[in-house]
Amino acid sequence: MTRRDAAAVAKPALNSEWIVRKTLFVFAMTTVLGIILVIFFVARESIPALRQVGWSNIFLSATWNPNVSNPATGHYGLLVPLAGTLAATLGGIIIGGPLAIGTAIFLTQIAPPRTGKLVVRGIELLAGIPSVIFGWIGLVVLVPMLARVTNTQGYGILAASFILGIMIIPTVTTIAKDALETVPEEYKQASFGMGATRWQTIYKVILPSAKEGLLVALILGIGRAIGETMAVQLVIGNARQFPNSLTSVTSTLTSRIVTDMGESTGAFRSALFVQGLVLLIMAMVIILLIRLVTRKTVKAA
Amino acid sequence: MMGEMHVPARSRARKTTAKTADTVATVVLWALALVCLAVLGSIIGYILVKGLAVVFDPKFILGKPQAINAGGGILPFLLSSIYLTLLTMVIIMPIGVGAAIYMAEFAGESRITRLVRFGADSLATVPSIVFGLFGLALFVVAFGMGPCLMAGALTLALLNLPAVMRTSEEALRAVPASYREASLGLGASRWQTIRKVVLPSAVPGITTGGILTIGRILGESAALVFTMPLFATKAPTSLFSGGAAIAPNLWYTLTEAITPDAQRIAQGEAAALVILILALNLVARFLAHRYQARQGMVG
Amino acid sequence: MRSGKRWILGGALLLAALLTVVGLAGCGNSSTTSDQNLTGKVSLSGSTTVLPPASEAASQFMDIHPGVQVSVQGGGSSVGITQLSQGLVDIGMSSRELKSEEQNQGFLDHKIALDVIVVVANPGMTVDDLTKDQVKGIFTGQLTNWKDVGGADAPITVVVRDKASGTREMFDEKALDSQDSTTAAIEANSNGIVRQTVASTRNAIGYISLGYLDGTVKALKYNSVEGSKDTALAKTYPLSRFLHMFTKGEPQGVVGVFIDFVLSERFQNDVVAREYIPATEL
Repeated sequence: MTRRDAAAVAKPALNSEWIVRKTLFVFAMTTVLGIILVIFFVARESIPALRQVGWSNIFLSATWNPNVSNPATGHYGLLVPLAGTLAATLGGIIIGGPLAIGTAIFLTQIAPPRTGKLVVRGIELLAGIPSVIFGWIGLVVLVPMLARVTNTQGYGILAASFILGIMIIPTVTTIAKDALETVPEEYKQASFGMGATRWQTIYKVILPSAKEGLLVALILGIGRAIGETMAVQLVIGNARQFPNSLTSVTSTLTSRIVTDMGESTGAFRSALFVQGLVLLIMAMVIILLIRLVTRKTVKAA
Repeated sequence: MMGEMHVPARSRARKTTAKTADTVATVVLWALALVCLAVLGSIIGYILVKGLAVVFDPKFILGKPQAINAGGGILPFLLSSIYLTLLTMVIIMPIGVGAAIYMAEFAGESRITRLVRFGADSLATVPSIVFGLFGLALFVVAFGMGPCLMAGALTLALLNLPAVMRTSEEALRAVPASYREASLGLGASRWQTIRKVVLPSAVPGITTGGILTIGRILGESAALVFTMPLFATKAPTSLFSGGAAIAPNLWYTLTEAITPDAQRIAQGEAAALVILILALNLVARFLAHRYQARQGMVG
Repeated sequence: MRSGKRWILGGALLLAALLTVVGLAGCGNSSTTSDQNLTGKVSLSGSTTVLPPASEAASQFMDIHPGVQVSVQGGGSSVGITQLSQGLVDIGMSSRELKSEEQNQGFLDHKIALDVIVVVANPGMTVDDLTKDQVKGIFTGQLTNWKDVGGADAPITVVVRDKASGTREMFDEKALDSQDSTTAAIEANSNGIVRQTVASTRNAIGYISLGYLDGTVKALKYNSVEGSKDTALAKTYPLSRFLHMFTKGEPQGVVGVFIDFVLSERFQNDVVAREYIPATEL
């Protein structure tokens, strides 16, 4: 690097090269600037609510009862949507996790080439379907179906879990597949050589050595589920109660934000930014978790 | 004696169980993959069955949206989406590709690149609704743009920057080092090498990434609900005028619209979106295929 | 490489040509007789309840007067009134009356419609009349089974509007005596969606504007009074409110022409009457 720089200095093209380099550097830094701006502005807009309503009335309260005409006197507890987010995400991972990881194992270990290609194309296509369309299908197909089967209103945690389960498949499958592909071929051959069946090889050799990658895939899936908005908002019911059963209507942080932003002002609007801030913090935790997991792998290797 | 007899028997039993487990696992894994395909197939099938008749009605595709009466069309939404896509791409491609060039060609592994990567990873993980809040706070309110084309495009540019950067960087890194060495050996400067040799070879990869980004822009709604109007009867006439893109308008149609034929509009909009995205996928596939074929000929 | 570039260029040209054609086609289809003489700008903001008819008015008005630019934005009644007093907009849209601190600013009230809210249930429900206390009990979560109000033994699914909506504000104030509705209620963002949810969800109850009433849901009497224009105007039916456009003093020039257009017989009957009781009938 430094030697190359020295060479560049010696050249007459120095000035334009220098300008280009600095410009490109600035472009690269837009990512850093971008995330700083996002954090700064979402945090700044959160301050009025925290000031006027108080930390504990937001972070330790389960009452969401905004006052539209006098926002500062409303109740803006976020425990209900927080619990809803966690419940729907958990449901999504329980439904989508096995499907996605199973598909990734299928693709890397079992699939005949043509079938494999078909499934990969399918997953790519699934990734391209807009989230609002998942919500629409959830609303017109899934909710009425669940209403019949469970004999309830159909909206709620279960509907959201199904939708999220399907929506996280592309993310989780793609990353899990990459992880499984990095397992050295010799491991597999050695296992087969010892007389192990294909499943024993998968279960005892391949999955353990791809453990970290699979974990990263699931964590990213969780990240996707936490932040999903339009699809969830359309099927979860947006009620202000804790999820107390599988079919219970409730709300998530994301669904609360889009449902209520409409005519909100003052502390009401600011309280919705607080929920955005919580989502932002969750995203940061996801990144740190992934760094933690992958760093361990790097050290081990 | 007994023990000696026992061992092979047990191992045989174990082998049978192992075989059964293997068969069961194979069946289950096939089933999981087929479930994924079936879900995808039924989603796309449902959208097309419900929406094709609507979408191919010229009064729908070329018509004017209605706020209250039935019979509205979606032309301004389609145009808004196209303008939004163009504007976002104009903003994002130079920055994204430029950043990728810096990361792939100029920067080694340093504190700076780690920082840039952390920034990109963070942006990629932040939920799009948070970008919507950010766009509302910065572009719509602080900059005083109001909900408009530019506010939406700037928000989407930031949202999609990491993806453009990553695919471009991958494309640049895939260019063989021998190309660079040859060019540098002929006395070209670093920037000349990048511009004349590396970048052209990476164009197909960058283009494919760009097309996938177009798909994401067309489908994005959460980042746009606060940064662009959800409904407007006219396409934007300037960078700072309103106009509703098709995906956020679909959400509006499902949650707020009061027209009697909202169901039909939703069906048509969903089908239009899916057809656009399928077409983009095909184009991306076609480009990648052509590129591979050419590579094959060279090799 | 060159063939690839040509391909992209060709595609871009084709796209541009297509856009031009489509764009021109879109512009050319304004069928109404247009009046080029009037020019200027009109800006409105405020209640999202008034937003749909206002957007429709803007669109029709600009077809008749191509020289006029009408821009309509939501934000809520309070936003509209605040922006009007700050001089940011020409017209503030509101679905509530002025509060005491908002008066004395010389606002002129143009009532553009009367909104009558009716309680509706899934058509499968046998109940057809609820007292005020029963409605209050159901929507605040005190009464949770249809048998408590004379129906079959089935849990009640409550559907309400989002907290930021003017309809919810009015319903909570007038029907629930400013109490909060039950946290178990499903929240929907529009009249249309409340109707659709109530229609498609068994045991559901909700409330919508009179104009949305159709065969898919069952309108319930409130204290034995049917919600209608006549009962609302006679004040025997309490769940109603006026929709307003406020201007600062007598509207001048193009703003005045626009207000006249909104209040015109044609617009009131063609558009406003679809959801609300038109101002022409008040």
